[in-house]
Amino acid sequence: MADLESRDLVISRLVRAPRAKVWKAWSDPGLLKQWWCPKPWTTEVRAFEFHSGGAFHTYMSGPDGGSSDNPGCFLDIVPQARIVMTSLLTGGWRPATPWLAMTAIVTMVDEGEGTRYVATVMHPDEATKDKHEAMGFFQGWNTCIDQLETFAQTLR
Amino acid sequence: MANQLTQLTGVFSALADPTRRAIVGALGRGPTSVSVLAEPFDMALPSFMKHLSVLERSGVIRSSKSGRVRTCELRPKPLSQAEAWIARQRAVWETRTDRMSALVEQLHQEDFDRGRP
Repeated sequence: MADLESRDLVISRLVRAPRAKVWKAWSDPGLLKQWWCPKPWTTEVRAFEFHSGGAFHTYMSGPDGGSSDNPGCFLDIVPQARIVMTSLLTGGWRPATPWLAMTAIVTMVDEGEGTRYVATVMHPDEATKDKHEAMGFFQGWNTCIDQLETFAQTLR
Repeated sequence: MANQLTQLTGVFSALADPTRRAIVGALGRGPTSVSVLAEPFDMALPSFMKHLSVLERSGVIRSSKSGRVRTCELRPKPLSQAEAWIARQRAVWETRTDRMSALVEQLHQEDFDRGRP
């Protein structure tokens, strides 16, 4: 089980803006779609019921016709403090079998003049050894990782 | 920056599509000729070739021709499945969080400049 926890992603940032504004970037789908995926990919927010059990469905499209469909569900919303969502359920807590199983917990607290933003993203153990994804699937992603990481550094 | 963005878009495009993920999955079993690779997919060959070409341009796969047979293979790197997978998820969320921070800080600055922080 220790191994499970070590695979949880914890992403922490000190955002130089008040908490109300960080909250707005998440709670306003018109703003969320601006940062959800890298340009020139675009995000379509197909459902955004910002309450516990509400549907959260994003659909991303790329310039050459590629797409990524990600239905999900909000589990918990505490205004200006916490957002919990999962891909394992859709709106109304209806069970789903997503291509990518995950639950994400986003928290925000005041820190100095800004906001401490922490996203914790959890994946099931099965995700890494799922038999239906052949070895090649993961190897294929490797090229992607390097490029995404390089890109992330240019944003800092 | 522009070049990295182009690369990123290519790989993102290449692997977000379900057909292309299936192709990459099939190539995980080893190098395969285009005709064998195309067989399980219910689509015209030109459409299938288009998918291969997207994967190849992104650097996810490479292909070589011997006589009339074109063979595709993955361009693997030495990372374990679990490492690769989790690192990829990390990259998605790191870049996403960076974009979110940048947007919030920009909007905040604009409000500040207008005199209503």
